[in-house]
Amino acid sequence: MEVEDEIQSAPHASVIVDLASADDPRAISTMLREQRVHTIENMFHLLTHREDVEAALRKPALFTSAPEAVQLGNIRPLIPLSVDPPKHVKYRRILDPLFAPKHMALLDGEVAELVNQIMDDFTSRGTLDFHEEFAVPLPCTVFLRLMGLPLDDLGMFLEMKDGIIRPPGDTLEAQSPIRKRTADTIYAYFEETLAERRRAPTEDLLARIMRSEVDGVTLTDEEILDICFLFIIAGLDTVTDTLDCIFGHLSQNPEHRRQVATDESVIPSAIEELLRWESPVPAVPRVLSEDVEIGGCPMKAGEHVMLLIGAANTDDAAHPGVDVVDLLRSPNPHLAFGGGVHRCLGSHLARVELRVAMREWHKRIPEYELVPGTVLEYTEGLRSLHHLPLRFPPAS
Amino acid sequence: MRIRLDADRCQGHGRCYVLAPDLFDADDYGHCVLLVDEVPEGGQDDARSGVENCPEQALSLEQ
Repeated sequence: MEVEDEIQSAPHASVIVDLASADDPRAISTMLREQRVHTIENMFHLLTHREDVEAALRKPALFTSAPEAVQLGNIRPLIPLSVDPPKHVKYRRILDPLFAPKHMALLDGEVAELVNQIMDDFTSRGTLDFHEEFAVPLPCTVFLRLMGLPLDDLGMFLEMKDGIIRPPGDTLEAQSPIRKRTADTIYAYFEETLAERRRAPTEDLLARIMRSEVDGVTLTDEEILDICFLFIIAGLDTVTDTLDCIFGHLSQNPEHRRQVATDESVIPSAIEELLRWESPVPAVPRVLSEDVEIGGCPMKAGEHVMLLIGAANTDDAAHPGVDVVDLLRSPNPHLAFGGGVHRCLGSHLARVELRVAMREWHKRIPEYELVPGTVLEYTEGLRSLHHLPLRFPPAS
Repeated sequence: MRIRLDADRCQGHGRCYVLAPDLFDADDYGHCVLLVDEVPEGGQDDARSGVENCPEQALSLEQ
């Protein structure tokens, strides 16, 4: 109720945090959509309608991804996230084919093997913390495999990811030095890896990036480092978040769990629907290059704008009926992976990981539920769970 | 029924060719390629599904 009162007067900057961490972010989105634009003084504007979010995503020259939009301890712009066209095109021409769906589909068997290895540790136990034991290690292990990096580095990678995305401390002042230190570690790790690869070439994703050419020119070491940095912060946590969101939902909605567990063909559309419903990345930031007015609200060049992906995905004025979960929903043109030129590069890898995880899990554990008495707590910024304790009939 | 593709709008979300692989395919970048000019008999629902699931509105139908 407090949240409601607060938003009806004027949202506080913390609404961005709440959109990830609230039990029901849809309720906050509904209230926010009553106004097309909200302005949080000296911070940012919020775009709340599907139409406006979509239009902004398609105008990267106006709603730019200038480096100041995302500051995560990196010393240079993240590639390709913080680079706009025309330069952006060069990087996506190299990276898009490496992450294209046909290429990613080949990983199905390898991911299935990893999922089953992870599951071997707990199927006979009858209980687990899904977040800690499944959602966290899976995407990170897949990433290490793809990049040809030692699996022993898993723990270090998780520290690097968390040091950037979830550094301890309540204020930016407390978090900044931790981000900075972690960033130094990431650059140093990949600098060393690149040097090693020059001595002893390998055949993996990193090798393909190192070999890639645009107009006969390969990427510089700095460019490769800036790509690797982005991979760590964009590719690991987001899949963990989505797995937590999906299994959090299914463990509390037995009719949906049964629908997925009894019919494998439901899995792809169930993933799209829960991506839409949960919107694990609830907002994406942009920086205005010119003055503009939306819905009577003036915005100035240089000001920051948050595009509320979650609010757009549940905007029933744009698509009636999106206020409920329908695992077979079609059409479902959601924006959970963003849109426009910055559409999530790793979306097809994410989909393979999610699809295989859902399929293999439900083959072995079709019946499961939240451990009774559990109160789920979602995380801030990106929507994952602190813990997701599940119980199920143990395998004999 | 014909399908129209606005290639400038396509960003490679890949929804169309996953949902209706007989009508849509992907190029090396994961962007949409139309496999047919005219939607074959019985393919109308698939065509509609591919078109309506595009988050970029890069696809449309012509009767």
